Amino acid sequence: MRQRPDTRLRAAGIALIVVAAASLLIPPAGCSRQEAVKTLNISGSTTLLTMTEAAGQLFEEKNPGVRVMVQGGGSSVGIEDAANGTADIGTSSRDLAEEEKDLGLVDHKVAIDAICIIVNPSNSVSNLTTEQAAGVFRGRVTSWNQVGGDDSPIVLVNRDEASGTREAFWKKMLDKQPFDRYAVILPGTGQVRSVVANARDAIGYISVGFVTDDVKTVSISGVSPTKGNVVAKKYGLSRSLHYFTKGDPKGLAKQFIDFVLSSQVQEEIVGVEFVPVNE
Amino acid sequence: MLAGARAASISQSELENHDVIKERVLHGLLFASACVAVLGLVLIFAFVAVRGVPIFAKAGVVQMLSSTDWSPMDGRFGILSFIVGSFAVTVGALLLGAPLAVGAAIFLSEIASPRVRSIVKPAVELLAGIPSVVYGFFGVIVVVPQVRALLGGSGFGLVSGCIVLAVMIVPTIAAISEDAISSVPRGFREGSAAMGATQWQTIKNVVLPAARTGIVDAVVLGMGRAVGETMAVLMVLGNAPVIPRGPSDPASTLTSIIILDMPYASGDHQTALFGIGLVLLLLSMSFVAAIRILSRSRKAR
Repeated sequence: MRQRPDTRLRAAGIALIVVAAASLLIPPAGCSRQEAVKTLNISGSTTLLTMTEAAGQLFEEKNPGVRVMVQGGGSSVGIEDAANGTADIGTSSRDLAEEEKDLGLVDHKVAIDAICIIVNPSNSVSNLTTEQAAGVFRGRVTSWNQVGGDDSPIVLVNRDEASGTREAFWKKMLDKQPFDRYAVILPGTGQVRSVVANARDAIGYISVGFVTDDVKTVSISGVSPTKGNVVAKKYGLSRSLHYFTKGDPKGLAKQFIDFVLSSQVQEEIVGVEFVPVNE
Repeated sequence: MLAGARAASISQSELENHDVIKERVLHGLLFASACVAVLGLVLIFAFVAVRGVPIFAKAGVVQMLSSTDWSPMDGRFGILSFIVGSFAVTVGALLLGAPLAVGAAIFLSEIASPRVRSIVKPAVELLAGIPSVVYGFFGVIVVVPQVRALLGGSGFGLVSGCIVLAVMIVPTIAAISEDAISSVPRGFREGSAAMGATQWQTIKNVVLPAARTGIVDAVVLGMGRAVGETMAVLMVLGNAPVIPRGPSDPASTLTSIIILDMPYASGDHQTALFGIGLVLLLLSMSFVAAIRILSRSRKAR
């Protein structure tokens, strides 16, 4: 007679598990109702990530009830996301490719960037000619002593193909010739920097905004990647950084882009890492 | 067990109508869960095949499987280097991990005192539950710098990949081998001891041969895990789309290239990634099939 409450208990337990499992499958409908926050979704270039996050934070402070969600992924991801509506703004450190031009994306240039070739601080090489640099990244130059350094093999660090930095570097530095395929491929700017900072013979390239004291920048044919040289157009490895929107920006996206282009943000946030667009 | 005894004590007449309904509902629910598993498998396979097969038709199966030229932007889809990469890290991980895991299993079931066992066994089981991205962190922070210091270069490459994967498959192989070794009847050991064999002789000549098939199963399962592992591998392997020339060269696997390219791939490139997924699926299915065939031939004997 005593097993009656027992089976009932067990049935209740099973029911509970079923309900719990079901509730995992069905998205809670109540969530969107209680939050009256407006969200701006931004994704794309890892180069623009820090700057956009900083601007987003300031934007949130000035506009209570607004959430700015910034994600990386690479420039190609940003362009893809903006085109298919996953993101309100897609950030990119490269121009649109031919096949991306008919996606209906509107370009907003938000900063000017220089791509720096970086080496380990202990590396004695501090200048490469354009030919030498191209030779290194194409895999033709394989030892540091071929370019005036120690007798040790060059460790190439490359970015993945979704990277706008890689695309720009490939166009401007390698003249669209293929990279050395045996190079290590890392999926983020920060990772390239950290590996070059720790591996004695490594060489890579990152946006000037990410250069820290952990790595050493290399002059190209005697021109160092300073802001002055970028503004004076002496340093060749520079490019525009973009926000893309599907059609003309509306609402929050427009507000945010105007905000980023305002002289205050350009000076205080964009200018910390890159060269402001109006200079 | 207690509930079973109680259930047996109730006579059929005591079962009321709604108990029968309850039974039916339970049966139905359980049957539905079984169906979901099968349906999931069929749907996933069909989906990957439908999305992936066109690329084999377009680029040619032989061409894709035999070429190492992966230039999706230029329409060249050779995936041989990824297949080689997957095999290389798997074999390397097994060479490092399997002896370690089987050793741990022997220790746990034959040598360890109950107290030591009560600490080591849960530790091994916990190791199996660590998310792979955490292993990846461990790889990037600990393994890669050590490999860099030892071998030079960047530290990202086959060696790091094999070490991280080896650590990951140890718990799988150890747990299953331990089951196999523990299930060798006690009498075997007693018989061996009675004939004057030492503990090591017993392990080597009696216990391990008796547990051999179970250990093989464990290794094959570990192999399956190694082939399918993605995140940790991606983080330490260096991801160059080439057949590595040496142990410290970077490489890519079938899984890592999918993760790396999926976020931005479109058109044929995306189809090619599904094609890679299909190859991977067939590969891991063949591992499962291998286990089945192994255990069936065992039963036949």
